[in-house]
Amino acid sequence: MPYKTRSAIGKIFLLCWFLTAILVAPKESFYCGSAYSQEDWRKEFDEICSKTENAMEFSVEELRSLVNRCDALKSRVEKLDEPQRKITLRRLQMCRDLYAFAFEMKEKK
Amino acid sequence: MLKKTFLVGVLVLGIAGVSLAQTGVKKKRPLPFEYGRVILNSYSEEARLSPVVFDHWLHRAKFTCRVCHVDLTFAMKTGTTTIKASDNMKGYYCGTCHNGKMIFQGVKIFESCSKKFLPEDVKRCDRCHSLGKNVKREYDFAKFSERFPKERFGNGIDWEKSEAAGFINPVDFLEGVSIPRKPLSTQKDFALSPKLESMPEIIFSHKKHTVWNGCELCHPEIFMGVKKGATKYSMVEIFEGRYCGVCHSTVAFPLLDCQRCHTKPVQQ
Repeated sequence: MPYKTRSAIGKIFLLCWFLTAILVAPKESFYCGSAYSQEDWRKEFDEICSKTENAMEFSVEELRSLVNRCDALKSRVEKLDEPQRKITLRRLQMCRDLYAFAFEMKEKK
Repeated sequence: MLKKTFLVGVLVLGIAGVSLAQTGVKKKRPLPFEYGRVILNSYSEEARLSPVVFDHWLHRAKFTCRVCHVDLTFAMKTGTTTIKASDNMKGYYCGTCHNGKMIFQGVKIFESCSKKFLPEDVKRCDRCHSLGKNVKREYDFAKFSERFPKERFGNGIDWEKSEAAGFINPVDFLEGVSIPRKPLSTQKDFALSPKLESMPEIIFSHKKHTVWNGCELCHPEIFMGVKKGATKYSMVEIFEGRYCGVCHSTVAFPLLDCQRCHTKPVQQ
């Protein structure tokens, strides 16, 4: 095979490899190197845990719903790879515990 | 002569024994730059590295407690987070900021752990893995804190006043990591009655505590009850590192500073 043809094949191969790498690469790698992903579970996680500052202002029903949402999300988070799994579970547990705690306080009243 | 020496020896040992038996070995009070120091050694020695020396004073001047202890999930008890170098390399724990890319207050934050390193990178490893080594710190405590309002104990710094005066401005949000939260509705300060009648009442400020901590850092893990008087706290338990003692015997102003909590004058 002539040198020019080999060189052209090599270039095409490199280009294909580069395009595949872009398509296959995980989305989060483009976020300034942040390991904290932007996947679906993260949206739900943000939505649930963004309300912790107002936990004592929610009704018993609202708190029960938040605790249930935490429990539902837990099963999804458990499927993540380490250490994201461990870290997110811990964060989720802190939110859940706070809501459960506020729930118990309100129910006792 | 020999008998006399023997008797003196027995007497000295006896006195020392009795005094130690009554009071134990006196714990050395940390120096201002040592207060809040944490030694992390979950895997360091296993990896033939010195344990990590973490100084709270530098980090707490730049970030709120919540950023690290809630958002990055560093546990409140030393050694329970079990951080691996690979976790840092993947951008978690220390590696969230210490990734060699993040620029904070105009300074690029050095990378914490990396798979590949050159011999000259040993100095970088030593910046954290420094226990037992004579490592020159990049930040000098005395110089760093010289303008800060002073306090008697702990780091010798009044952190609250330092923030109020604008000497520090701890960041409460890390883009891509922290969750945007609504501002906390201000809760009123409340008084807690001490067990000893002669002690001034404790005025607890939720506002002062939540500004750096948020809610979930304390409730329910550290404080189970919110109903006033429902939980009885004893100073013995607090000195053992429970309740207020979780922070106020380690990082926040120490328990020796009685008047910082027991502030309300006794009613005659």
